[in-house]
Amino acid sequence: MKRMLWSAPILGIVIACAPAAGFAAEGNVPLKHPNITMDQKTLREGLQVFVDVCMGCHSAKYVTYGDLMRYPEIALPRQQVDDLRGNKSLLDGLTTDLTPADAKVSYGKVPPDLSVITRSRQGADYVYSILTGFAHDPEGRIPDGHYNIYFPGNNIAMPDPLTWFQHDPADEKSIEEQARSVSSFLAFISEPHQLQRESLGRYVIAFLVLLTAVLWWLKREIWKDVQH
Amino acid sequence: MIERMLNSSLAQWLDERSGIVGMIRKHVLDYPTPKNLNYMWNFGSLAMLVLLLQILSGVFLAMFYKPSAMATDGGYTMAFDSVERIMRDVDYGWLIRYIHAVGASAFFFIIYMHFARGLYYGSYKKPRELLWIVGVIILLVMQATAFFGYLLPWGQMSYWGATVITNLFGAVPVIGGFINELLRGGFGIGDPTLNRFFSLHYLFPMILVAIVVAHLHALHVVHSNNPTGVEPGKKGVIPFHPYYTVKDLFGVGVFLTVFCYFVFLNPTGWGLFIEPDNFSPANGFQTPAHIAPVWYLTPWYSILRAFPDKLMGVTAMGLSMLLLFFIPWLDRGRVRSARYRPMYRQMVLLFFLSVVVLGYCGHAAPNELLKTVGRVATAVYFGFFLFLPIITKHEKTRPLPQDV
Amino acid sequence: MSEPTDHKRRNFLWGLASGLGAAGVAGVAVPFVKSMLPAADTLAASTTEFDLSTIVSGQMVVIAWQGKPVFVVNRTEKMLERLHGYEAKLKDPDSRADYPHVEAAWMKTEEQRYTRAIKPEYLVLQANCTHLGCIPLYKPSPGQAEWGDSVPEWWPGGFHCPCHGSLYDLAGRVFDGSPAPYNLYTVPYMYTADAKILIG
Repeated sequence: MKRMLWSAPILGIVIACAPAAGFAAEGNVPLKHPNITMDQKTLREGLQVFVDVCMGCHSAKYVTYGDLMRYPEIALPRQQVDDLRGNKSLLDGLTTDLTPADAKVSYGKVPPDLSVITRSRQGADYVYSILTGFAHDPEGRIPDGHYNIYFPGNNIAMPDPLTWFQHDPADEKSIEEQARSVSSFLAFISEPHQLQRESLGRYVIAFLVLLTAVLWWLKREIWKDVQH
Repeated sequence: MIERMLNSSLAQWLDERSGIVGMIRKHVLDYPTPKNLNYMWNFGSLAMLVLLLQILSGVFLAMFYKPSAMATDGGYTMAFDSVERIMRDVDYGWLIRYIHAVGASAFFFIIYMHFARGLYYGSYKKPRELLWIVGVIILLVMQATAFFGYLLPWGQMSYWGATVITNLFGAVPVIGGFINELLRGGFGIGDPTLNRFFSLHYLFPMILVAIVVAHLHALHVVHSNNPTGVEPGKKGVIPFHPYYTVKDLFGVGVFLTVFCYFVFLNPTGWGLFIEPDNFSPANGFQTPAHIAPVWYLTPWYSILRAFPDKLMGVTAMGLSMLLLFFIPWLDRGRVRSARYRPMYRQMVLLFFLSVVVLGYCGHAAPNELLKTVGRVATAVYFGFFLFLPIITKHEKTRPLPQDV
Repeated sequence: MSEPTDHKRRNFLWGLASGLGAAGVAGVAVPFVKSMLPAADTLAASTTEFDLSTIVSGQMVVIAWQGKPVFVVNRTEKMLERLHGYEAKLKDPDSRADYPHVEAAWMKTEEQRYTRAIKPEYLVLQANCTHLGCIPLYKPSPGQAEWGDSVPEWWPGGFHCPCHGSLYDLAGRVFDGSPAPYNLYTVPYMYTADAKILIG
């Protein structure tokens, strides 16, 4: 055992570095931590917010209308999918009608596709924080509606989509809930098989722990022959 | 059961024509192995396992992956789309992709541990110099394979990582520009680069398998070193089977458990195995805020950054890999294992620490403090090679045991 | 040796470890094999909608279903009348061969069996010869006037496969003497409106 001790500090440092590295990447304001859930109710509400609000400008092209029926976590009934898609095919992705050229004229840039947005940014917490992070610029440089506490550099091209800025305090709960459900929805579509992955993983790991225990037992039994 | 299989008429038929049974007996079942190997000796078999896993998962990914930078809607490309199709539409595609992505990191972790063991216990020393050299070649081929593979998802880190590293080669005097064009096949990283990197990413593992066979062959000529570094006598060796087959299998069990934890529950490895920026499609007009190679290449990246001059940085980085080849001759001591070499033990531990520190510095966003730390670690890294011949010539060693 | 070897326990442990190991390897094979089956997006694209009113009477069009060609023919009254009188020359005039896709679930009446269509005027069949998969040529007019000796003198109109000379009538029923063993295969389809079908 003692002779292996030297590897311990190395491993220790490697492990200690890992999470530290994650934080060091952005180093901005700490994000809000909403309760991200992937139950059917939240995901369907999030989908509704996505279609009603986000899809005005953003797409999620890797998610098709058919997927909304197919993924068991959402399992939207056919009738509702037909209502959502209008004359689009089930094979079409959730894409916006805003053309890139028009978007450039209106917002100065093309809004990013949101299919994997929670993976390319810092998770659902980041999306939620952005959606509820519009404020008045304390230094007065950035116009209202484009100042965001959580956006790197604070100047975001996206106009406050849920009108969080200057919202009526009575509506705060409802806006927070919209932001939460759409963040959950985006986290889900960024990796639609994540729940299956986690549940399957538990069985796989349990099996491997069992197998390893048997192998350890076998190894100990066989090595009884060897004299030291 | 194994005996029954080897004595079967089919096995005998094959044996008469190929000598296969004799080979299995000589190189697997009865292969004499020191009885005192510790668990650090498990990493060799684990490396083989991961190489096979990478090839298997890679072959399947290649059935669905499309190496094309042709633009599609939303700023994406065919390549990126095909990776997302694997993640979403192909049955268990996500699993195969994660096995491959986590496997790359696992492979490097295992190989680094394998190297650390070899360094610590003096496994590179006579008569195992060639074994060591082949091992360093394996590491270089692995790094090249990983570099080619990392471009394939065609995300931001793929693109900018490849840009930075091909530019590195551009710094080589005289032929730099030529190498650069050879790698890129265009004026920048583009569709031709992606196509050839895919081809090379498929080719290099085959080369790797061939070199691994050479590595194993070299091993079976000189046999395994052991923690004492003393050549074992007749009583010091045991047959490989069943003792090391079960021990290696137990190691495989432990490894697979940890591996599956990552594949199923933490596939991006806190952003170390698959970086968040690589989920943004490659964009030649916008560099990510902070580019760093994947963790297993960061020590060498740090050495590159430690020098204020481009050519010097590139030279130092090349030298840091090249020097590994010469360790068997730089170390002039007679004793192998660091257990009996107090001075060497301190040195090699400091060397390991420098690699880890360099790795951290290369991963983190650069600042003044880390720059200094990185330079100190670079000095320690090269200091190891510099002082190795001097110190080992006069070092005092502790008495060696008679046998293992 | 401190204690004698317990062979029973050893054998048990070897057996247990091998059994679990084999189960593990089999378990790993499942996702890899499954990944090679048609993916979700491929399956989602497995149906085709088609508006039959776009075909002129007497015409044939080839449409794609699951990436393969499908014949859709708008048969005239005359063409339907010509489907009789040569039953003896057909291998399987009533589509009764015990082979997948010769008979179809929607074949409920005798008329549907010999016209091989839900509504007699619209013929919808797989466009591949049942011999080796070539696409037969559409030769609707009777006799050799238009087709020369690629078809027999008594030709009632139908399909002629250029690869190995298989002959089918205008209901895709195969003639005796052809190398093709079965009538042209049916496709699963249904009417979603008066003149709209959904294939698959």
